[in-house]
Amino acid sequence: MSLLPYAVAAWLFGVGLYGIATSRNYIHLIGCLSVCQSATYVLLLGIGYRFDAIAPIFYDHPPGTPAVDPVMQALVLTDIVVGATLTALLLVLALQVYKRTGTLDPERLRPMRGTRAPGPRPRSTDRPPTKRAAPPAARS
Amino acid sequence: MTVLLNLLFLMIAATGASVVLIREPRRQVFAIALNGLVLTLLFTALQAPDVALSELAVGTAAVPLLFMIVLSAVRTAEPGQDTQSGEDA
Repeated sequence: MSLLPYAVAAWLFGVGLYGIATSRNYIHLIGCLSVCQSATYVLLLGIGYRFDAIAPIFYDHPPGTPAVDPVMQALVLTDIVVGATLTALLLVLALQVYKRTGTLDPERLRPMRGTRAPGPRPRSTDRPPTKRAAPPAARS
Repeated sequence: MTVLLNLLFLMIAATGASVVLIREPRRQVFAIALNGLVLTLLFTALQAPDVALSELAVGTAAVPLLFMIVLSAVRTAEPGQDTQSGEDA
């Protein structure tokens, strides 16, 4: 195929990386990550495409008819499913970040520390990660 | 056919850029759905009907629905309700 699919794939990857680097909202950032993933769809299907070829379904065509590469299509199918799963997982993590810190801005998040600011600790389920995180901070 | 493919590739580049450049997440959801729809058309034109079907289900319907669910959950969630440690919102 011509050079256009590769140029479009590079453009999508670049613009997605730009969005990830400059995003001020985690939900917007996850959308930019899905743009990066769509670059891989375009790249893989651009590799497997042939001009004047049929879809790789030989129900009403004799065997041996020129068809596009079905392996690339299987890869893209896997890629779409993995991308949807990754988006769902990252959205749930962003929601948990918002519930814990009250912001979705990556710039306003502070790094995790072993010790926390003094305050009421009503739930004991939050305690074990704090205890586990404390010794490396004390050692270093 | 080549003209249609080139047009669809350029539309993919434009809608992908619009997903990145629309900074408000509530409006970005519509750009994501439009991007999925144009990707579906492109896969159909690239002789990949099975990929187009799965992209139509996932990219046009499921993923924007997930984004809308998370946006509504963020809007109704009380900040700091997990820890209640009084951190600034």
